[in-house]
Amino acid sequence: MTAKKEKYKKVAYYPGCALEGTGHAYNRSTKEVGKALGLDLVEVKNWNCCGAMEVKNVDPKIQTYLSSRVMSVAANEMDMDVVMAPCNGCYHNLKKAEYDLKNDSESAKVVDRLSKKAGHKTYETGQVETIHALDWIRETIGEDGLKERVKNSLSGIKIANYYGCMYTRPRHIFPEKDAGPGSESTSKPHFMDDLLAAAGAENVDFPLKTACCGGAHTLSDSDTSTKLVLNILKTAKLAGADVIATECPTCHSGLEMHQIRAEKNFGEKVEIKILYFTQLLGMALGLKARKVGVHENISDSIGFLKERGLG
Amino acid sequence: MPIHEKSLIRPENLKTHDKLVLDGIDVSGHWSTFIETRVVSDYNEALEEEISALPGGEYIHRCWQCGSCTNSCTVHAINPDFNPRFWIYLIRMGMESELLRDKDIIWQCVSCNKCTYACPRDVVPEGVMKATAHWLERKGHTPKSPSTHFDEVFTEQVIATGKIEESRTIRRFFKRTNQGLMQSWMVEMVKRMLRHLPIGLLSRMGLATFIAPRTSNWSSAASAIQEYIDEQHDKQDKALSLSELIDVAQKDAAA
Ligand code: SF4
Ligand code: SF4
Ligand code: SF4
Ligand code: SF4
Repeated sequence: MTAKKEKYKKVAYYPGCALEGTGHAYNRSTKEVGKALGLDLVEVKNWNCCGAMEVKNVDPKIQTYLSSRVMSVAANEMDMDVVMAPCNGCYHNLKKAEYDLKNDSESAKVVDRLSKKAGHKTYETGQVETIHALDWIRETIGEDGLKERVKNSLSGIKIANYYGCMYTRPRHIFPEKDAGPGSESTSKPHFMDDLLAAAGAENVDFPLKTACCGGAHTLSDSDTSTKLVLNILKTAKLAGADVIATECPTCHSGLEMHQIRAEKNFGEKVEIKILYFTQLLGMALGLKARKVGVHENISDSIGFLKERGLG
Repeated sequence: MPIHEKSLIRPENLKTHDKLVLDGIDVSGHWSTFIETRVVSDYNEALEEEISALPGGEYIHRCWQCGSCTNSCTVHAINPDFNPRFWIYLIRMGMESELLRDKDIIWQCVSCNKCTYACPRDVVPEGVMKATAHWLERKGHTPKSPSTHFDEVFTEQVIATGKIEESRTIRRFFKRTNQGLMQSWMVEMVKRMLRHLPIGLLSRMGLATFIAPRTSNWSSAASAIQEYIDEQHDKQDKALSLSELIDVAQKDAAA
């Protein structure tokens, strides 16, 4: 615990492409929360896309190479030993690359060949540890630390915590999960629940924490995505939630987009508020709603937050 | 015998007779529905090998048909015809024509990996779905799915610049699949974003055409990746006997 506490205080920050686009508010709120908590984020120099699901579909080994390059830069050009990725896709892919390089010699060979041709050092497994923004806050500050720092409690806000697919599946790329007390669970993840509860929020019992929003086909098979999202939104509402908290830019924009699409194309209006967990934590730490980009969200929660003394 | 589990049998294989006398006994009505006898003779014995030659299909041979994948599947829950266990069975048996009946929905796998999580044999059914969808396209049984178009647009951009700029990817995808960008829900979404958002920021978030992000010194990585992809493509063509076909066609054309 304490080793991680020190180790994670300064991490290489890998925002990924989505955080420069639709996930802008997540980027902003993650940085602001880091600042408020006295944690140090050093952006990975000249980073590239991790390959996402799309490149994996074209060729899995290219995705492994792309992710390995990010880790190689962090380790060999910045001398860092932890990479923190707030996007589930990036986090998942870096973990997957680590697993593949360790367990599949063919992947390791391809990565070595491509790294040499591209002119950078080949990433060696174990050089960096990849963590999610949730691990980062939880290990450095923790629930107790957060409680001490809360200025505006989130009390009275009922939250459904949504983790999506890539944070827990497939299990084998996350060896540190399901590893006994204190570790994250792949079937019922709780790190986000724990942090938000420490900030005063009331978490509802939400059975679809790791359901899929159909993000893979958000544009190529939109009706399927809308159906899947609608199920998630309605279940959260039935569970009594005012807000769905997210920890991934793709999940977040999937819920936002298809909430509107469900209304426009299916005539189903749910109107649930969707906020990044870093936006919620930021406001609990006393930051203004604008500062954590609440006005950039599509679902409108400004009035709701004001009524509760936030923002 | 009356058939109780009719939903498990394809309707065209059920035969109901209005009037039927068997061995002098009138079996019309309740007792007159039969399942057509089928003889399967057109096995493609290479089917499993072909699919396992494509990325994702490597572990299909491990499947022991427990059904956990289908049982946990996100898409199966909204479309009962989406059945990974069944398709894996057909592929392993070489029953190509049966598989082709479902050719238009296999690409709809959303890669949620619930199946991979549930599978006791590490088959990675998600990968098998991708390999099968690619096999269908490469063999010409289906046109490229919208999902494949999206993957290609995305990957081309990553190879070219090292990064993705979302709005550019979306615009190119819509263009390639001949869809209009001005779909009513998209317009509505942007309208709602504009409620609180300065237009400048919105264009930075979504329409960053002018500051398209790129990784610097990327060109050697780009050519290394492209070279590798082309190489793999050739290998796969061979495994699918496509290169042979092309050879024959070329010789034929030359003659
Ligand atoms: S997963 Fe998404 S955000 Fe992460 S690098 Fe890849 S494209 Fe970019
Ligand atoms: S929930 Fe959706 S966006 Fe999130 S990881 Fe799953 S498919 Fe991707
Ligand atoms: S879960 Fe695995 S072993 Fe079971 S049917 Fe599916 S692929 Fe086969
Ligand atoms: S990855 Fe595809 S096949 Fe597997 S459970 Fe998800 S949708 Fe079904």
